[in-house]
Amino acid sequence: MIKKTRNTEGVSRRDFLGLAAFGAAILGSIGVLAGSLRFVKADVYSEESKKFKIGKKENFPIGTTRKFDDKNVFIFSDDNGLFAISAICTHLGCIVSPSEFGFQCPCHGSRYDENGNVIGGPAPRPLEWYEINQEVDGTLFIDAGKAVPQGTKYLFA
Amino acid sequence: MSNSTQTGLGKYKENLLSIKKSFLGSFLRSGMPTSDKSRTAVVVNNFFLHLHGAKTHTNTLKPSYTLGLGLISFFLLVIAFISGGFLMVYYSPSIGTAFNAVKDINFVVISGKLMRNIHKWSGEAMIIFVLLHMARVVYTNSYKRGREFNWVIGVVLLILTFVLNLTGYMLPWDQLSYWALVIVSNIAAAPKELTDIFGITQYFDIGGATKEVLLGGTAPGQNSLTRVYLLHIILLPLGICTALGVHFWRVRKDGGLSKPDIVGDRETGVAFISPPQKTGGIFPTHKTYGLMELARGRTPAVDNDVENTVTSWPNLFVAEIAVFIFTLAGVIAYSYFIDAPLKEFANAAIPENPAKAPWYFLGLQELVSYSAFMGGQGLPGLAIAGLLLIPYLDREQEHFGIWFSNRQGRMVAIESFIVGAAAVIGSLAFVINFGWFRNWWPKIHQLWIIAINPGNLLLGFVVAYSLFVIKRTGSTRMGAISLFTMFLVCYVILTYTGTVLRGPNWEFYWSASQWPIH
Amino acid sequence: MQSRFYLSLLLISSLVLIAFMGIAFNREMNPEWKKYQTEYKDFLVKNAKDASTRQRAERIQIGMQQIYIKSLERSDRCMSCHRGVENPLMAEAEQPHRQHSGNYLENHPIAKFGCTVCHRGQDRATNMREAHGEEHTHWDFPIIPSKYIQGSCAQCHDYEMLRQEGGEKVARGEELFRQKGCQGCHKIGGKGGDLGKDIAGIGSRPFAYFSMKHVVGDHNLYNWVKQHFDDPRAIVPESEMRVFLTDEEAELLTTYMMTFVTAEMPRNYTLIKNVIQPKIDGESLYKMYCIACHSDGRVSLYDEIFKRTIPAIRNPAFTRSIDDEHLRTIIKEGRKGTQMTAWKVSAAGLTDADINKIIMYITMNRPEKKPEPFGFLKYKADVRHGEELYNIRCEFCHGAEGKGGEGFLGINLRNPAVQKADPEFLAITVRDGREGTPMVSFGMKGLKLDNQDIADMVAYVKTLSQKK
Repeated sequence: MIKKTRNTEGVSRRDFLGLAAFGAAILGSIGVLAGSLRFVKADVYSEESKKFKIGKKENFPIGTTRKFDDKNVFIFSDDNGLFAISAICTHLGCIVSPSEFGFQCPCHGSRYDENGNVIGGPAPRPLEWYEINQEVDGTLFIDAGKAVPQGTKYLFA
Repeated sequence: MSNSTQTGLGKYKENLLSIKKSFLGSFLRSGMPTSDKSRTAVVVNNFFLHLHGAKTHTNTLKPSYTLGLGLISFFLLVIAFISGGFLMVYYSPSIGTAFNAVKDINFVVISGKLMRNIHKWSGEAMIIFVLLHMARVVYTNSYKRGREFNWVIGVVLLILTFVLNLTGYMLPWDQLSYWALVIVSNIAAAPKELTDIFGITQYFDIGGATKEVLLGGTAPGQNSLTRVYLLHIILLPLGICTALGVHFWRVRKDGGLSKPDIVGDRETGVAFISPPQKTGGIFPTHKTYGLMELARGRTPAVDNDVENTVTSWPNLFVAEIAVFIFTLAGVIAYSYFIDAPLKEFANAAIPENPAKAPWYFLGLQELVSYSAFMGGQGLPGLAIAGLLLIPYLDREQEHFGIWFSNRQGRMVAIESFIVGAAAVIGSLAFVINFGWFRNWWPKIHQLWIIAINPGNLLLGFVVAYSLFVIKRTGSTRMGAISLFTMFLVCYVILTYTGTVLRGPNWEFYWSASQWPIH
Repeated sequence: MQSRFYLSLLLISSLVLIAFMGIAFNREMNPEWKKYQTEYKDFLVKNAKDASTRQRAERIQIGMQQIYIKSLERSDRCMSCHRGVENPLMAEAEQPHRQHSGNYLENHPIAKFGCTVCHRGQDRATNMREAHGEEHTHWDFPIIPSKYIQGSCAQCHDYEMLRQEGGEKVARGEELFRQKGCQGCHKIGGKGGDLGKDIAGIGSRPFAYFSMKHVVGDHNLYNWVKQHFDDPRAIVPESEMRVFLTDEEAELLTTYMMTFVTAEMPRNYTLIKNVIQPKIDGESLYKMYCIACHSDGRVSLYDEIFKRTIPAIRNPAFTRSIDDEHLRTIIKEGRKGTQMTAWKVSAAGLTDADINKIIMYITMNRPEKKPEPFGFLKYKADVRHGEELYNIRCEFCHGAEGKGGEGFLGINLRNPAVQKADPEFLAITVRDGREGTPMVSFGMKGLKLDNQDIADMVAYVKTLSQKK
């Protein structure tokens, strides 16, 4: 009967080989993990473009207020030009509706003035303003993926 | 905390300060192990580790004994599970969107193509490694001493591996998927050949019913995809996890991996260590085995030597991690170079020519080309039954845990390899050159084809030859080696034939480069 | 020592893993389109005219471009490489940067139409090989060569408009299709003969449908169709197609073939300006359905492909001796044993009105003067004498068994159309012959057989169907 339990050998010595091996293994695993997590976000998705056309500027005489329901954007026209304000509440993404003081969100009671500034409720940021552009043929289009500073109004010739 | 005079807030503050230590303590319980006792505790106290024994036999860790095949198979499954989970982020099982989803994974998802390749190749590699693992178990004589039923579970795992791969093959809904589904569903319907012969199809159409249940209709369509998806994503993974759990649990209950009764020890210079001499009684003279001692029946942990063991922490776990990283690296390297196939969108009007099943079924497709019923159900069924019966028909207890048992075993294996290869190549060559009954007598009754076709004759020959080996050597063990070797050879050669040597219209070509241009 | 073995395995495997993660990362981070976009951006920055243009060029973000069009179920990613497609500055640039030619984009904004709806190719692909659907990329609709691209216009536009506004190729193709008698053998929309395959959907048929064995160049639909027009039997050896086209005509017809696609455009994409139906008179109907085999119908010729003589159906000698009712039966029921299709509504899809128009056209030049009646019933015909005469006079062209067919100039006399025909009609034909065909006159004007002999011969011919 020979009793022998090997328990103090190998990696417990923390020799160079062990350190290198485990270091490399951890590094490799982090790489695999990072690559895998990157997988969840695609380069593009098959979804509607954020850009959409709104027609010619003649459709928006001064004083117009229009809402594009399927795009959730308000278009206003005043002396200083056209501007587009998002209808998406900055609190939790409900859709605001116009009211006497500006905009009112039905979900948690956020209120905004007519420029989209928060005047009440839990909303953390003012409503977003979007870029309006003109195509060669004069058609206007809004890029709802591109926020512009509040107060940006566009005058088109 | 021992200070009972502390105020409530004082205790709270102290708890707050020691939160790191107490959390880690509650999480790890026994810190970094320093002694055998604590190394044991690590294993026993950890959910993920306690499946292992606290100590591991050195024979188990010997790379040349297990070749790590079972572990590689398991890790391939883990990789397939994880990568499959990622693929599900984009995939949707609808015949309108499935194909586009796979295209998107290929084209606009960072590492998408790689992920899909990893999933595909880890799944298919599993088939190879499960088969190799089974070969290891057979050749090291490890299906004995309480492990008989675990072999049965192993065969179930093999079948599940096949079916998981097959169902996955159908999900992209391309030409490959569609025509594989058509072929498979018609193999499911193959018992019609038999019921037709007895004229009872109209009363008892078991084949047709199976096909309809599988497809959710009479032809592949949305329902079929939904059902295949259900199988691939839920039912089969649940099944394979359950079976795998039992498989592992039984390995432990059966006393760990098999090992020879006598194990050499090179390091100590001691040539052989004999097993402990136990003469009876609950507590033997020199050692206590704990409650295991009390268990009745064949619990092979009893009687096994505790010598030649090392603590599982870290020895076993280093080995496992090494094999895992090895598997992962291998799969990723292969996936980097070889892309998983994706053909045209499914088209019900135009079959692929040749319409080939996935490669692992091409051996069967070769047999199916004689008779759909025998090739698709009869022969595979008999082969599986034969595999299942191996541990029950060979009950010789000698040479346990030794590769090929002895010199004779090695000779039998080589001999069976040659004879099996000759038989299968011979029968294929005969059929390819001279045809079979249908070619000679086109009007022959289907019963003759079912009863006498090259596949059946091959199977009959394999069985007869292994019985001959048993008779000649006087050992059932030799018969088992012979039978399994020939099974493996037949599978490999038939698969090779179906994959490489068969071209359009299932005609024979020496290589795909000779196929007529379509 | 085992642990050393496993540690070494771990180390080596980990290094391999790290290496492959590295090269995989590199591959993922440098897709093909990135190179082109960088080139495009650099070009714009370098050639900027003023500071603000340069600034705008510098702001261009490099990233995958996609035009998603829900109603067409397309995600066109072509602009990931072809980013300059709308930029006038790129008019002279090399592909993939060049601006789209012509003014097509003015009326077909990319945001609404995308690219693949006209150009085909694989919308979702993001590398050139697969996006263009080259050979072996398993994509059924490779990019369409520009010479055939007008075939895509007809998805939305009518031919009248195309003829006037930039789609003349496909419009001419459509015209040719009607003039070459393609529908004599090919069905389209239920109308047409049965000799050839149905053309419906040919423009969007999967690759695997076609036998590409003999196609020269890239194996794709376009080359197959074009080369099939050039020489049908070079592509499909067993083809019976009679087609004689110039290279240009073949190109035009190929373009037209690309209009037969199965997918329909959503209504808000289509623009039908002219709903005028082209004038369908007897002549155009004859051209659509008859001309491919009968040519102008004035001379009958032995056809090498059909292995038989195709009768001259507009020949005055023929029209004079056949009445409209007989003609109508032949056209409606076809001729069994020949390539002649049954044209009735339930078969090849022609209405009675159409058939009447065709008959009017065929018999347009029918001579006023009816042939002199033969009076068959007056003669007591001797079949045996008829047989002797047949073997001397007729066998050479119609064959000993009267079957005509391969190698014989004459028609099949066992055909029901002959066997069931009025013996008076047959006797007149034998007596007077057929102008413009090899059938000469056997009567007093020609080979000087008397009427009794002719009657005997006709009587014998009428018994041919009973002979083995």
